[in-house]
Amino acid sequence: MLPEEEGRRFSINDNADLLGEILGRLDGRSLATAACVCRLWSAVGRREGVWESVCHRHARPCGDECGVATRAVVAALGGYRRLYRLCIGPALDRLADGGRVPLSLSLSLFSIDCYERLGVGAAAGAAAGGRQQQTPASLLFLCKPVDVS
Amino acid sequence: MFTQIRVCSAYPFVIFGFSVPLSGVPQEEKEMKRDHQDAGGGGRGDWYAVAEQEKGKASMGTDDGVDELLAALGYKVRSSDMADVAQKLEQLEMAMESSAAANDDVLFAHPAFDSVHYNPSDISAWVDNILSELNAPPPLPQQPPPPPAASLRHQFDLSPAGTEQYSIGTVDHYSPADVYELKPQSSTASLRDRKRLKVCSAFPSSSTPTDVAAQQVVVVDSQEAGIRLVHALMACAEAVQKDNLKAAGAIVKQISVLAASQGGAMRKVAGYFAEALAHRIYRPQSPRGVSCSSTHESTAFDDMLHQHFYESCPYLKFGHFTANQAILEAFAGCRRVHVVDFGMRQGLQWPALLQALALRPGGPPSFRLTGIGPPQPDNSDSLQEVGWKLAQLAETIRVDFRYRGFVATSLADLEPYLLLGAETDGRGVEDDEPEVVAVNSVFELHRLLARSGALEKVLGTILAVRPRIVTVVEQEANHNGRTFLDRFTEALHYYSTMFDSLEGSTSPPSSPEARRHGQAMSEMYLGRQIYNVVACEGAERTERHEALAQWRARMCRAGFESVPIGSNAFKQASMLLALFDGGEGFRVEENDGCLSLGWHTRPLIATSAWRAAGDPLRTSASS
Repeated sequence: MLPEEEGRRFSINDNADLLGEILGRLDGRSLATAACVCRLWSAVGRREGVWESVCHRHARPCGDECGVATRAVVAALGGYRRLYRLCIGPALDRLADGGRVPLSLSLSLFSIDCYERLGVGAAAGAAAGGRQQQTPASLLFLCKPVDVS
Repeated sequence: MFTQIRVCSAYPFVIFGFSVPLSGVPQEEKEMKRDHQDAGGGGRGDWYAVAEQEKGKASMGTDDGVDELLAALGYKVRSSDMADVAQKLEQLEMAMESSAAANDDVLFAHPAFDSVHYNPSDISAWVDNILSELNAPPPLPQQPPPPPAASLRHQFDLSPAGTEQYSIGTVDHYSPADVYELKPQSSTASLRDRKRLKVCSAFPSSSTPTDVAAQQVVVVDSQEAGIRLVHALMACAEAVQKDNLKAAGAIVKQISVLAASQGGAMRKVAGYFAEALAHRIYRPQSPRGVSCSSTHESTAFDDMLHQHFYESCPYLKFGHFTANQAILEAFAGCRRVHVVDFGMRQGLQWPALLQALALRPGGPPSFRLTGIGPPQPDNSDSLQEVGWKLAQLAETIRVDFRYRGFVATSLADLEPYLLLGAETDGRGVEDDEPEVVAVNSVFELHRLLARSGALEKVLGTILAVRPRIVTVVEQEANHNGRTFLDRFTEALHYYSTMFDSLEGSTSPPSSPEARRHGQAMSEMYLGRQIYNVVACEGAERTERHEALAQWRARMCRAGFESVPIGSNAFKQASMLLALFDGGEGFRVEENDGCLSLGWHTRPLIATSAWRAAGDPLRTSASS
């Protein structure tokens, strides 16, 4: 960029947030491709906020699902990027006419996926009483199932 | 693969006793027509001599050109006309189908069907007249290729020694086994065997010509091994029912041969049914079969199969999602909720409910889960492991979660106080919020029918817990009929449809190897159920599926009333199915407040929701 034209030209790489806003308007595949362009784009393209925009654009929320609570839950379950990759993207592929996937359904499937992934670590931990895992604070339950037969 | 049995009771004959494989209908009907011509042109064996003598229709020899097989059933059709007749029957069928699709009453209200105008034994003229009266023939199917020169008929030859063993007139005493013991005369033994199967299986299931309404099967001399296979299965089941184990054993061997010549779902279904039949025939005393002595014998393997079945096809997911939606709606506005799961297994139903509760308006409630499972033979504690996993998930999404596991050999062992149970989790002060209970049963209630009184006790226990909602997911089929043959027939249709649906669909995301593996595991899962339905009896036969209507009656008798499952569940289920490849084959239907998932026209799984009748605590769940 020539110094005398600094004021007039703008590069897309100037502002990461602006780049994020732009990338957030892409569809999933294009965004994933864009993340391969350069390190900056890769970093921005991995931002949860960007993928959150993508998810909300392609998934139809019913009810209150755009709130803060949703963000927290999705983050806990694995993040928007993973949500799109596992649940929304494949679903969109199958709905040929470009309809929107219900967000609630995607979240349900996402939660099941997260749960199944837990199994990999938990099986090893259960024998030791789960001490290797962080004991959840809200966990209060009987350690042994009651045999009623 | 199999359409429903088309029984036209208003008409003097049934077109097919068992359906034509769906995937190849036009081809088969062409072959059927071809064989009609074959049937007509052939020579006669001694069998026909017997038929003619018994019927006293000496005039119906080959000179007349009338088909002998049909003649024995009471219909006069010229052999040369067979192709024509078959074609017209096809037209008639298509007309009936198209009008049935359009409007149930139009065709059947037609004056042509009000009374029998013409002698139905003269099929050709009868069909002609009906069709011309209808005046709406569908476009003609392509003409079948000319029949091969070597007609099958020529090869059909029974040794004279065999003929004294049976008489056609008294079909009840006819034993299929006698025919199978006759030695084949030519090298095309397998062809002949199939032929014999065809012929023989017609007779046990047909009655005297006078009793033609809705019971008789017009035996079409088709080369389609699929139909023959079905007939063989039915014949074997009949033999088992009549305690004719020798005959049944002979037929079972034939079934294996026939099944090997088939492909795809047909072969697998036939294989499972044949194996179950063989076990029933050869080990009648308390079979130590795969899953017979106890459905929970090899629980880890069972759970693995269950997991694959869950992943590969939408039935379990459908049940879980619709039940969760009903529970979610019933829990609206409640701060303390308690779910009792009668079949905990891997707890796959609950992550989605936890997530939905976490995101519901007003925030998540305090959630308690009671999981019930069978005793583990290897002392592993799967109930506890499942509880741990769910607790971890609940922790990450910040839902207050408590879990309790109960090991019970049978649900009837449960008592209400166990389910309500004192809270020993350290909460000293009793919460002023009452706990709202939901009871969930996925494929568990039908097992209780094996012991008399068990179901009533369990339903009583459920009522004692005073649940806000009870969700029941069950197979939509009656595999608990009084006679073995009824159960066998029903199971054959049901599992054929299920296996068909497995062939046609995939779940996302999957590679072809994963899909095949998942499909194989799912088939094994279903195969165990088939084994139980066919080979087990008494207390060991735990797969006593009953249809939705029967469950409705039972629940109403026990003091429950139906809670309609709302349209949200319907939409979610429909969308779920759209995600499965081949999802166009699946159908979600609403049936008087209950949702059912089926493959094409056959419902296979049904979800229903209930609450105690006359309960003052009515939920204001929006539908």
